[in-house]
Amino acid sequence: MSKTMAEKVLSKKSGTDVFAGDLIIAPVDLVFAHDGTMPLAIQQMGSGLSKQSVFDPNRVVGVCDHASPSPSEKVSNVHSFMRKFAVENNLQFFENGDGICHQIVVERFAAPWKVIIGADSHTCTHGALGAFATGMGSTDVAAIMVYGKTWLKVPESFKVEITGQLPEHVHSKDVILHVIGEITADGATYMSMEFLGDAVDRMSLASRLTMCNMAIEAGAKAGMCQADEKAREFLESHGRGKEYAPLAPDKGATYADEITVEAEKIEPMVAFPHKVDNVAPVTQFEDVELDQVCVGTCTNGRIEDLRVAAQILKGKRTAEGTRLVVYPASRGVLLQAIKEGIIETFLQAGASIGAPGCGFCIGRTVALGDGEVALSTQNRNFKGRMGNDNAEIYLCSPATAAASTITGHITDPRGA
Amino acid sequence: MDKIKGTVLRVFAKDVNTDEIISGKYKYDELDIKKLAFHTFEAIDSKFYEDAKKVKNPILIASENFGCGSSREQAPWVIKACNVSCIVADSFARIFYRNGFNIGLPLVECKDISKNVSQGDELEIDFSAGIIKNLTKNETYKFKPIPEFMQKLLDAGGLMPYLLKNNGFGE
Ligand code: SF4
Repeated sequence: MSKTMAEKVLSKKSGTDVFAGDLIIAPVDLVFAHDGTMPLAIQQMGSGLSKQSVFDPNRVVGVCDHASPSPSEKVSNVHSFMRKFAVENNLQFFENGDGICHQIVVERFAAPWKVIIGADSHTCTHGALGAFATGMGSTDVAAIMVYGKTWLKVPESFKVEITGQLPEHVHSKDVILHVIGEITADGATYMSMEFLGDAVDRMSLASRLTMCNMAIEAGAKAGMCQADEKAREFLESHGRGKEYAPLAPDKGATYADEITVEAEKIEPMVAFPHKVDNVAPVTQFEDVELDQVCVGTCTNGRIEDLRVAAQILKGKRTAEGTRLVVYPASRGVLLQAIKEGIIETFLQAGASIGAPGCGFCIGRTVALGDGEVALSTQNRNFKGRMGNDNAEIYLCSPATAAASTITGHITDPRGA
Repeated sequence: MDKIKGTVLRVFAKDVNTDEIISGKYKYDELDIKKLAFHTFEAIDSKFYEDAKKVKNPILIASENFGCGSSREQAPWVIKACNVSCIVADSFARIFYRNGFNIGLPLVECKDISKNVSQGDELEIDFSAGIIKNLTKNETYKFKPIPEFMQKLLDAGGLMPYLLKNNGFGE
């Protein structure tokens, strides 16, 4: 019987032919957690299993990224707790300033056909490389850290077919916002969203990562793209060409639902407060004045994203009364941005540059004031997300963010 | 786990997210769930923590997609720490649903429950039969019984006790 990408990966992993709805115990190739979730997982290991050792230190990754560099005594103590565990277990441990867990995993560990579990909902990001990757809670992750296995229900799949050519200044972020607006925040609940079509084939890996990253915002368990030449090139450029293996769905695979997107028709999109599925074209929000514009996060903090923003900002300045904050997604991204003169462009435009990490995304190291309005390239605009229940968050692509920085209000990048 | 009898403490709307259940701004500071529980639903329902103490076996009712957003397990933990005995929703977000069973907090998906039940109603939930009795309104609602594996997790009190009992995932 024909299989979807999720069914193929999980069949191979479990060693049996499995289909949507089957419950399996699967070996896990990589498990990771961050400073917001790993401490609880460590506590769970200790109190629940009376074990403080991991199944394989090479397959367990810990990252201090969410509140990094540590903004307070309390956070520093939490980091110390996590660091001590990492040292004792000889984990793959990444420090304050190394970057966001997902970017680190993409650059160093993710590969086609792997099962990757992270104690973070945006773990679905890694499906862009043809992995089956999903977010779980700390208890699940504690169990995986000890046993190297987890229980999984093989998900149904939601096919997202994207055809044609994206217009200039329209990016994969606009496509995924459009899709979430169409199918809503629970439109793909428990499913694997599989992104297919010639437009996806042409997309860079960075663009695919952005879409898979936001699959969870439609309730999905995983987001997946085919592992093709683009995936191979990406792995090669990160010195991991050997980890490449092609992956595509079988012809005639069964999808529980599907949507077709004509790329030509997509406009720059914005999600307005306080839900990700509140989506409309940017042109409907051009009178929204901005206190802060934020570029970065695991959704859009890669070098490709910074390039897009810097190209629009080159030689320009942020509008008076609007602050620009830029957080590169990893140390590697920051280094590359420095080499390409992108950081110089941002600084000259008036930006503050943060240490690679989650930064503004959850308001842990940069928070909004009462009544303030922010436009961000991140994936969530929930009330209180950026550290203030009385602030408003709009979501957009790096191009829209850059164009809006210059004017001080939400702005269509197609005019920039 | 067979039956729970309790009182409906709240009926929540659609898409309650984990930031609303417990704000991300607290979870990096505090590892003690009891202290963290003080902030449960703070952003959308400032009286929740206090009111939860006044009711015996509080039950939460919600519309669709309850617990959407981040994977933070602190969300079901703080709700459990407020003594909530069960959450019944039209539907749950995936990670929240899984986390609930892993920590031994029973969750029931029952279509239209949020339209049928009111705050203060007395409910009796029979997990194996898949029946909710509304003792106040004298009504009955049916739900699809919880899958066997997840029932085992609840019986054990969560994933950790289950793994201890079975010495891992078995096979
Ligand atoms: S950048 Fe934001 S969404 Fe991504 S892992 Fe960090 S906090 Fe989560």
